[in-house]
Amino acid sequence: MIRLFDSAREAGGRDPLDAELPAPAPLPIDWTFLLRTRAALGLVPITAPAIVLVPIGMLLGPSALNVLSPNVLAHLDTVISVALAALGVFVGLALDLRRVADRRLFAAASLEAAVTVTIVGGALVLLLVLWHPRLDHAPLLVALVIGVAAAASSAGTVDASADERSLNATRIADLDDVVPILVGALLLAAAWRPTAGGMLWLTLVSAVAGLGIGVAGWLLFERAHGPAERGLFVLGSVVLLGGIASYMALSPLFVGLVAGLFWTYTPGRADQVIRGDLQKLQHPLVVVLLLAAGASIRLDTLALWLIGPFVVFRLAGKLAGGWVASRVATGLTPVDLGALLIPAGLLGLAYALLFWQSTGSPTAQAVLTAIALGTLANEVIAMLVVPHTADTAPQVES
Amino acid sequence: MRRLLALVVILATAWLVREAVGDDGTRTTALALGFALIAAALTGDLLERVHLPRVTGYLLFGMICGPYLLNLISRPMARELNLINELAIALIAFVAGLELNYSRLRPRIAAFLRVGIVLLSVATLTLFALLWAAWPWLPIWPEAAGWSRIAAAALVAIVVVGFSPTVTIAVIADARARGPLSELVVSVVVLSDLILIVVFTLLMQFARWAFGESSATDVGLLAQLSWEIFGAMAFGAIVGSVFALYLRSVGRELTLVLIGMCVLLSAAGHLLHFEALLAALAAGLVVENIAPPRGDRLKEAVERGSLPVLVIFFAAAGASLHLDALATVGLVAVAISLVRLVVVAGSLKLGLRTAGLTEPYTGYAWMGFMSKAGVSLGLTILVANAFPAWGVAAQTLLVALIALHELAGPVLFKTALTRAGEVGKAN
Repeated sequence: MIRLFDSAREAGGRDPLDAELPAPAPLPIDWTFLLRTRAALGLVPITAPAIVLVPIGMLLGPSALNVLSPNVLAHLDTVISVALAALGVFVGLALDLRRVADRRLFAAASLEAAVTVTIVGGALVLLLVLWHPRLDHAPLLVALVIGVAAAASSAGTVDASADERSLNATRIADLDDVVPILVGALLLAAAWRPTAGGMLWLTLVSAVAGLGIGVAGWLLFERAHGPAERGLFVLGSVVLLGGIASYMALSPLFVGLVAGLFWTYTPGRADQVIRGDLQKLQHPLVVVLLLAAGASIRLDTLALWLIGPFVVFRLAGKLAGGWVASRVATGLTPVDLGALLIPAGLLGLAYALLFWQSTGSPTAQAVLTAIALGTLANEVIAMLVVPHTADTAPQVES
Repeated sequence: MRRLLALVVILATAWLVREAVGDDGTRTTALALGFALIAAALTGDLLERVHLPRVTGYLLFGMICGPYLLNLISRPMARELNLINELAIALIAFVAGLELNYSRLRPRIAAFLRVGIVLLSVATLTLFALLWAAWPWLPIWPEAAGWSRIAAAALVAIVVVGFSPTVTIAVIADARARGPLSELVVSVVVLSDLILIVVFTLLMQFARWAFGESSATDVGLLAQLSWEIFGAMAFGAIVGSVFALYLRSVGRELTLVLIGMCVLLSAAGHLLHFEALLAALAAGLVVENIAPPRGDRLKEAVERGSLPVLVIFFAAAGASLHLDALATVGLVAVAISLVRLVVVAGSLKLGLRTAGLTEPYTGYAWMGFMSKAGVSLGLTILVANAFPAWGVAAQTLLVALIALHELAGPVLFKTALTRAGEVGKAN
């Protein structure tokens, strides 16, 4: 267990006054928390670290053992769409903003995500315009996709008895998943209908479809004849959400989010029913996504060019975003928060996988490769930085 | 009312999506799966309210929404749905194995075997004779004569007789039925289908000889057949033992593990060229008879896992029903179907009398032998591929016949189970 307030590293040795004071309670942060993460908003903490599963996926993929051959990956397409929709539903179910404090944290998290998208996207669009690589999509679209994938963070596990500061920090890391899903949905629509009207129309249709399935599920879940039928309705709803998005080549994350939000805010127990049933599938779902992302990696020049900027600008974006968020959510310090936001987790990777699945272009595969490897780099940095930050200096603003 | 409203909302959503994208949508599997899962389940529920089997509801849903009528499930979508077939067959057979408790069935196994042998031999021979006599009027290959006519008529007869273990077990599982009639039908259908597959394989060899395509004796064929049957059972027994061990020592996430096991059985069947149905049946038998589970955990897992699989399986079957075949050779198919009904009912009566089974339910037991589906369809494909000159015409007729039985079979069997008072007894 790392003690955040350990003063052994203090310049000039321990302060005599500190020695007289009782040792402050340690923040329940340990580097192993990075292995057991919530991966995305709404998921319960599980041990499915990207740093382990993505390399296993690479090993099993077409570039190495070919167990997950291109044919198998093509068959996994359906599973991936459904898994992404389920992920969206989880996010929607966890987005209960009826308390003022939650709304404030959500605003902070959204600002932080928006800052990251802007910094990463802005920097990359400049670089892409300067480099002139061969792209299948507009440089702005590619840069923003990478920005969106960079914006999500994975929240580590903290003890339920942890102080409010730790809880708020992890909550922000959780809530910053929403903006990437919304922006990501618009970007995917833009890949098919580059005009603003067309993009908004497609996104609106997918939202209405998500709402439609939300309504149907709400009508069915609580009236099912027993758990088997209820399970069938839950499964059917999530598969339908993934199927609609997949058919339209749009974002299952967004369609799932809309349905999840509907279930959260409508009266009744629909949200509890679906959460209870879906949680049983959470672990395999996360594992499948990470393995599929790993297996889809293919190194090429563009991917190699993108990894460095992705890692560097994401780090900058998260630190800047952490600073902005700490102005909105009181009681948090920029360093503390910025460091906690470094682990990239699942959602960015899932979005990159989705972009590749929807467009099927070599550029999208290069983007996925860069984001997957960049995610691993971020996880390693987080392992080094979080305990170090914890050792040195979090300053709590009162 | 809420269910009907939900169905309307889902249909409206599916329509909206297809209107927005048109038929340009490429990845259709998940859409078809999700749509079929909920809408077919609701249709099945609707039919259950009028005392018809839910299975028929799933089939009707697939037929109505399928490519021949509303086209909400287009032809590529129906093809994608069929991907689940092998998994469904493995799961259904595993459930059947779980229902076959040896100590409970032991006193009647010999009788069931006798019923199966009499039923199969008398029905096949009678139908063969009738088909041979009526051959010039059948829309298959009227000019065939001599050994060719005998071989072709024999192959068609064996396919016409064939039963459907899948539908039989699904109807029993769906009606949650248990009792002597369920046991008789499921045992005889499974045993008869085993014998039927062996006879069909031998007849195919005979037909090849009759059409001058090979010599009559082929040792490799017997070895292949033995592997298909005994290899499948051995593999299934091993998988069943491992599952039973997991059930006892771990017992977590049973639904997922159960589905995973069925995927393994169906994939292995495909790779190792054996009958996945037999392997899954053996796995179920091992779990039930050698390491029976404690408590209701397995029952709950089976219920949770089998419902979605059954729904998709039958909805896909409904969407793939060849209504065009029914339209072209429907009358002949109806006629053959009626003849089959009489012949099978008569042969069964003889078999039951020979075996000394005279309980009241035996009077309407014939209703349980009217279902035809996957195995028969598979055999028709084999005939069409092996003898394209006349096999394709035979396939059209047989597919129309199977379509009729697929719709009527479950209704008749559910009626028989209701009359026998076995519906809901498995609860």
